[in-house]
Amino acid sequence: MSQVSTRGGLTEGQGRAQRNSASPARRGRFRSAKATIFYVALIAAALIWLMPVITLVLTALKDAGDFAVNGAFALPKSIRWANFSEAWQTGIGNYFWNSVIVTGIKVPLGILIESMAAFALTHMHFRWANKVFVYVLVGLIVPMQMTLVPLTLLLNALNLIDTLTGLIILYIGFGVPFGVLVMRGYFRTLPTAIIEAARIDGCSWFRIFYRIALPLALPAVVSLCILDGVATWNEFILAQIFLRSDELRTLPLGLVQFSTQFSTQYDQLAAAVLISVAPVMLVFLLFQRYFVAGMGGAVK
Amino acid sequence: MALTTGPADAIAARSGRLSPAQRRIERWRFLPWVFLAPALVIYSVVVVYPMLYSTYLSLFRWDGVAPKKIFVGFQNYVTLLTHNEVFWIALKNNAIWLLAALLVPTSVGLGLALMLNSRFRGSHIFRSIFYFPAVLSLAVVGLIWTWIYHPDLGLANQFLDAVGLKIFKRNWLSDPQIAIYPVILAATWNAVGLPMLLFLAGLQTIPPEMHEAAKVEGAGPMRRFVYITFPLLRETTLIVLAITSINALKAYDIIYAMTNGGPANRTQLLSTWMYFLTYNYNEVGLGTAIAVVLFSLTLIFAIPYIRLMTRKV
Repeated sequence: MSQVSTRGGLTEGQGRAQRNSASPARRGRFRSAKATIFYVALIAAALIWLMPVITLVLTALKDAGDFAVNGAFALPKSIRWANFSEAWQTGIGNYFWNSVIVTGIKVPLGILIESMAAFALTHMHFRWANKVFVYVLVGLIVPMQMTLVPLTLLLNALNLIDTLTGLIILYIGFGVPFGVLVMRGYFRTLPTAIIEAARIDGCSWFRIFYRIALPLALPAVVSLCILDGVATWNEFILAQIFLRSDELRTLPLGLVQFSTQFSTQYDQLAAAVLISVAPVMLVFLLFQRYFVAGMGGAVK
Repeated sequence: MALTTGPADAIAARSGRLSPAQRRIERWRFLPWVFLAPALVIYSVVVVYPMLYSTYLSLFRWDGVAPKKIFVGFQNYVTLLTHNEVFWIALKNNAIWLLAALLVPTSVGLGLALMLNSRFRGSHIFRSIFYFPAVLSLAVVGLIWTWIYHPDLGLANQFLDAVGLKIFKRNWLSDPQIAIYPVILAATWNAVGLPMLLFLAGLQTIPPEMHEAAKVEGAGPMRRFVYITFPLLRETTLIVLAITSINALKAYDIIYAMTNGGPANRTQLLSTWMYFLTYNYNEVGLGTAIAVVLFSLTLIFAIPYIRLMTRKV
């Protein structure tokens, strides 16, 4: 308990406590009391923070009658796993696989072209590098609404409206700015000496890229995979506008549809939401340090 | 893979000569463009060209189907400003949202970062807990919070019942006067994680010696925050403010999931109103004009960010 360091928010009371108290023993007791209060406050805040998620889980586990009588925030009378299978069969399963297909194709393809571009911008002595980078960066701030009408016309002309292929192409395009930003940030930290040495040995640029630069940038690739995967999994507006048929819908879109169709069946809806969140939760729990690393790469 | 064998081996394996044909390609000045081409082409087609074309379309009256577009100059913008009440509601909602986003998630994120920056038992678990809502899609966040605001079964009203504050019970999402605020609160829950993460990263770069030295000199925690921590977080703060404001202006799915713009268009944002005008009322000219307005607003908040990103080139 007394491991609480003197840096950060805790210092406020502690500094004063140290100066005011006379004996080391009293100081120790004082400090551990502070730490206990700190922990209790933090745990309380965390519980309040997670309240919506707790409610969601509790709702997904109970049957509709129980929910209507006892409300969302009560322990289920009996656990009803059938909510999940029923939600899965009423369409969520289908939406789930659509999301898997879209994310599974978009993310690797996107990262490949983004890292190629980032490599050219950092290590190929490219005269226009800065200008091209600024051009790409603009895409980070363009609201989707700015592109919807022309994209509708474009996909119509290419016969790609209401297809997963069309959606994947759009996702790859919109992913370029962030991907280039992250990969460029990482490639810049690679020592030029390695690349130059390979050049002198007669290694071609393509080989340098996929045998040296890309493997060295593995941490950035993993970070980007996760951030981009979650973003693609969660994307709503493009899917909403460019997918028309129900059997092609991805999860976020399907869920909203599901909620309007079965607006009173909270148990199934909660189960459906939980199914859609599960993969993201899993990825987050397994790879959370990469979230920090990836965002760091985007900022630095 | 090459990562485990080390780059030196990879180089050694490739010290063989290039064929004359390969040499010719390698000497080609435009090779970087070959590396850039896939990304640049798809980005230009999917993002840049539509953006320019939308700007152009905002100068026409068009229903999206008719072969003929009628050029009207800036008439669409004038119509929005003078004859479109919902546009003003949306603009006001965007302003409220933006203000809330600049104040709440940023300061809560900073507070959490300061608390969780020190390593104590469980600090990582708490970081994960407070970051977690940020990985959920806004559609999901919207759906979850819709139940919280449910008039009879929702947590919000049940809580007010339990603590004896019945008078504050509301039909949160269908009261036109207040409906936008519960939506913003739900969005805030999702928006806190990113600032927290960025501030934590920023705090790690401050050398602890500075705090130690100041403490020896007798500076209290408040003074140390004001004179050391905060100035050194200046750049992070700038980035956080830019990103949260850009994200606030992008808000769309959460409205769609929670209120669909209602009641009586009271929770429309520029982003959702653009969708309604374009796809429900076939007013493509007005819709694209709103998109241009939205983009211009975003640009104001994004310029410092882009400056910062490119200064370090």
